[in-house]
Amino acid sequence: MFSKSFVNRICQAIWRITWVPSVQHPRFIVPAVGIGKVQAAGKKDYIDLPALNEDELDEQFVRGSGPGGQATNKTSNCVVLRHNPTGIVVKCHQTRSVETNRKRARQIMREKLEVIYKGEESDILKNKKESIQRKQDKRKKANENLVKKRLFKEALMADSKSVDDRG
Amino acid sequence: MWIRLRRSLNGFYNRVDPLIVRCIGHKRLYTFHSPGVAECIPAIPTDYRLTVQECVTLWTRHFQLRGVSEPRLSSQYIIAHLLGVKTLESLGQDRLAEFLTHKQMEQTWKLCTRRLTRMPVQYVIEEWDFRDLTLKMSPPVFIPRPETEELVGLMLADLQVKQGTGVSEEANLRCLEVGCGTGAISLSLLNSLPQLRAIALDKNKDAVELTVENAHSLGLQDRLEVHHMDVIRDADMIVRMCSPVSVLVSNPPYLFSEDMASLDPEVHKFEDHDALDGGVDGMQVIRHILTLAPQLLSNNGRVYLEVDPRHPPFIQLWAEGGERGLRYVHTHHDFTGRPRFCVLENDNATYIKTRTSI
Repeated sequence: MFSKSFVNRICQAIWRITWVPSVQHPRFIVPAVGIGKVQAAGKKDYIDLPALNEDELDEQFVRGSGPGGQATNKTSNCVVLRHNPTGIVVKCHQTRSVETNRKRARQIMREKLEVIYKGEESDILKNKKESIQRKQDKRKKANENLVKKRLFKEALMADSKSVDDRG
Repeated sequence: MWIRLRRSLNGFYNRVDPLIVRCIGHKRLYTFHSPGVAECIPAIPTDYRLTVQECVTLWTRHFQLRGVSEPRLSSQYIIAHLLGVKTLESLGQDRLAEFLTHKQMEQTWKLCTRRLTRMPVQYVIEEWDFRDLTLKMSPPVFIPRPETEELVGLMLADLQVKQGTGVSEEANLRCLEVGCGTGAISLSLLNSLPQLRAIALDKNKDAVELTVENAHSLGLQDRLEVHHMDVIRDADMIVRMCSPVSVLVSNPPYLFSEDMASLDPEVHKFEDHDALDGGVDGMQVIRHILTLAPQLLSNNGRVYLEVDPRHPPFIQLWAEGGERGLRYVHTHHDFTGRPRFCVLENDNATYIKTRTSI
């Protein structure tokens, strides 16, 4: 279509104008979902998590300085998400998909913001406390059962011994 | 005599190599299969076992020694895969301290040795993730890039907005993908849109077979047709067989021929060059797709392309040149801020029904 050198010259100019690496805030395209009540990761009850404003977020990726895309095959997909108003930083490299890591980073960010905004009243903290309490209760009960079983066995052996003695 | 000299030199290297001693603390870790430290492969320990963490560390150091890119990540992904998980992060600290069985160590050595040839991790473990799907990977079929995940996200957002307007013909939503590779784009769309039917084309027979295999693994084969076709050579047949479709999508080869030689060995040695090389200006295949698009698309149908960051202005210029049958909608940037995706819409009003030359 155009000569190679012309293409290159135009590209140098346009690239400088339209592409400024890691300063822009690319809009993260999320399908329209209801904001507000969201199921927090791993929890049974629905919790009110604060909505995220993409304009307040800074995202960083490791994708190199070249043209990216087809030219490179890098497996690093760590996402670093920064919430500017509060300064909270979330790092996520839980999965092998960049998009999934971005979604999870946002979910974790929402949970962290919930804790910050609600303080003592935070549902997330309450859930955590409840689950720790439940585990402690469970352990206590299990131990009590073991003690009961042991005493029962000892009583049984003592009984059978006294029967032997008498017989 | 020469052999005896080499053996004693090997012994010397074994005792004093600071990297090995620091790494694990065991002596005689290396045997030499050919001259030079750079050529060695660590020997599998036979009289002791390694923990998961020690194995990762050992191979990270070795990849670093041999100049393999992403040494730590390569080691982590390979060993995680052998342990049946996607990432090491998903294992707890206690599992990282567990010993590997001898069989697991053998498998680790086998796969890590492949990585030493600069084979991409995705080909070494023969799988990779794309959005919420796990796909089989097989050389030389092109490995999906993370940018392309955004292309699918972009399409889904547009299609969901369209559905919101209650257009009844979307009940028969049809999509055509040119250059499907592993099938990532089509399968991801099918997985997210239960009412979609897709046709995928590729000129490489391996890609066609791999897409079919992935479709079956995901249970999506009933809504996907895959054809071994070349968008340039088989243009007429494609129009006859496939039109009309509501959506046309492609991640076509878009690299500039002059850039092919400077690609990383992972890409250059192992991936299909036909899936990368877009000709002198990187737009050879793009041009053909845009020429065919008006004949393939239904009213207001859209074409979505992933391109080189230098391409969007030229594509926009071309579309606005008049009588192309396509209206330029938007350029979207990828997560690194580079102009990456072009969206055009079928515009019958300006289309002249002869093949327009570019």
